[in-house]
Amino acid sequence: MPTPHEGSGISGRHGPVRAPQGIAGGILLIALAALALWLTRDLDQGTLNSMGPAMLPRWLAIGVGLSGLALIAFAFTREGEPLERWSLRGPFFIILAILAFAVTIRPFSFGGITIPGLGLLVAGPLAIIVGGYASPEARFRDLLILALSLTPFCMLLFGDLLNLPIPVFPQALAELFPADWSQKAVMRVTAAVLVAGAFVVFFTTRGSRKTTIDVADHSGRI
Amino acid sequence: MGDLLSNLSLGFGVALSLQNLFLAFLGCLVGTLIGVLPGVGPIATIAMLLPITFGFDPTGALIMLAGIYYGAQYGGSTTAILVNIPGEATSVVTALDGHEMARQGRAGVALGIAAIGSFFAGTVATLVIAALGAPLTKLALIFGPTEYFSLMVMGLVFAVVLARGSILKAIAMILVGVLLSTVGLDLETGEERMTFGLPFLSDGIDFAVLAMGIFGIAEIMRNLDHTEHRDVVRQAIGRLLPNKEDFKQSYKPVMRGTLIGAILGILPGNGAVLGPFASYTLEKKIAKDPRRFGRGAIEGVAGPESANNAGAQTSFIPLLTLGIPPNAVMALMVGAMTIHGIIPGPQVMTKNPTLFWGMIASMWVGNLMLLVINLPMIGLWVRLLKVPYRLLFPAILMFCCIGIYSINSLPTDVMFIALFGLVGYTLIKFGFEPAPMLLGFVLGKLMEENLRRALILSRGSLETFIERPVSAGLLAVAALLLIVALLPSIRKGRDEVFTE
Repeated sequence: MPTPHEGSGISGRHGPVRAPQGIAGGILLIALAALALWLTRDLDQGTLNSMGPAMLPRWLAIGVGLSGLALIAFAFTREGEPLERWSLRGPFFIILAILAFAVTIRPFSFGGITIPGLGLLVAGPLAIIVGGYASPEARFRDLLILALSLTPFCMLLFGDLLNLPIPVFPQALAELFPADWSQKAVMRVTAAVLVAGAFVVFFTTRGSRKTTIDVADHSGRI
Repeated sequence: MGDLLSNLSLGFGVALSLQNLFLAFLGCLVGTLIGVLPGVGPIATIAMLLPITFGFDPTGALIMLAGIYYGAQYGGSTTAILVNIPGEATSVVTALDGHEMARQGRAGVALGIAAIGSFFAGTVATLVIAALGAPLTKLALIFGPTEYFSLMVMGLVFAVVLARGSILKAIAMILVGVLLSTVGLDLETGEERMTFGLPFLSDGIDFAVLAMGIFGIAEIMRNLDHTEHRDVVRQAIGRLLPNKEDFKQSYKPVMRGTLIGAILGILPGNGAVLGPFASYTLEKKIAKDPRRFGRGAIEGVAGPESANNAGAQTSFIPLLTLGIPPNAVMALMVGAMTIHGIIPGPQVMTKNPTLFWGMIASMWVGNLMLLVINLPMIGLWVRLLKVPYRLLFPAILMFCCIGIYSINSLPTDVMFIALFGLVGYTLIKFGFEPAPMLLGFVLGKLMEENLRRALILSRGSLETFIERPVSAGLLAVAALLLIVALLPSIRKGRDEVFTE
């Protein structure tokens, strides 16, 4: 959504616009105000004596809109900030990771699609690995190890120690274990398997990628 | 005086029980642990860790949360000194001289004096809260809706004046915040407002979700934009205890900082933020040789750090006595209290004296623990600081998701942190500061409620706000502040304070 303003902002440095950031911010505020006014259009404003539901939102929206107009006006008269550079990679992967977590943590249906509840066991690693790619320096191996070690930690911390009502593993997994096993026993065994997996990945892939790791460690940047 | 002592002894009786001691310790430790991580401020830390306090009794939970808060604050200072990345606004000042000291091989002394100064400030602030708690609570009882409304207006004006950058943008952010707070069912009429017909919006936007999105997720997005260059100190940490000379130089700044911070912290509208800046400016002004500042002057760490901690603590006063959260952190405390069935306000002290005084006493205990935890464990924090951000942020991301999911067990909450993260990122990119918006959101509901009541009492006449003397006084202060802040000469000074 911000991309359209970006071009005008950069060229604006040469035109009458002296604070492109102000223009963009002003447009954002006005759009927000318009949205709020449109959403409250059917609501009753009431009187000061008995305020209706729309009274405050409407006046606030007008205030927001006026601030937006003022910002735009000042953008022509006062020198201000240029627009900052936007990156899409970061927000894209972060949002994707959060959405992935949200739809897998427990049964979720959207439209015709139903995703079974997969619990923290799937949602956690998914969030870490997908989210990890938000950084251009992402490395799959490191993210995998991180996912395999943090997920069991969280399972034990939130599920076992703190007893929070968070789904930990899919129901299908529990059925693989003997019927007389308790939820917690299953959770602990699963966590142990994940940690073991983390160790396996760590030790088996260490030799082959050694050079890259060394580079990272000695690059001076920490 | 006798009252104060008996109240405090009641409080210490609660705070020193084995369970609460353990919870305070755990809170401080976990808070420091997360707070040390660069790019995670106290708001995100508390929002993330809120669920781990659910299992305890209210007193224990609040003691732990308070511990997390100080821990996160303190961890932020550690990061500021060792890495020169201020975790949040209040440790910006600490980074100036603290990091310079660290480069000169005096990181240990900087951390030591920060810890000692904070402890002293914390002790004084605890006494201030204990002393002011009772009288302010009585004052709160004579406050009607009209006065409450005017007080909150004043708080918001403070927030505008104290926000960095353009005043116009800060005002806009406050208005947007209050506007966001009106989303959901209208309490009086039961009509849905701006919910898009979505059922999960009818209760309004959850504060923890908004805070987590704006301060947790948006921060991650923003940090990813800057190619990371962490300047972790390579020099030895050095000895931790300041020597005689250091003490001689810093005991006065510590006392002045404590005083400034404690007073500013009481102000509604996040006055605590100003404490470190004010203290730094003051120390620089009265120093014999102001050029030393920015080059590793110990006063530049001692004063602001004390102010920071004193303010962090006295900002509990408006919450505990008036029920008005002065900043986002305290708003999260409101959330935590509500989850445990406690409505913050003047009645907490009378109805729940063990909770009230226990929490106050635990503040002192928590400060002592921070001193004990931080200094010996400094090696661990340094190691933590060396974890690269590319591995840190996915972990933070997952903790945010788990934390927010556990509050209401709603996947939609998780999705909303993504949305608000994007909103926060957009706002930051357009030069808006999100903190005032959060405060506007926090106070919005209370304001609307009190505005309505006040207007019903006055039969719809707005004059009630200037006819009642207390309310008129508060509004006059607010108007004066706004005018002063808009004066060109003061504006220049304000910009200088914030750019320093």
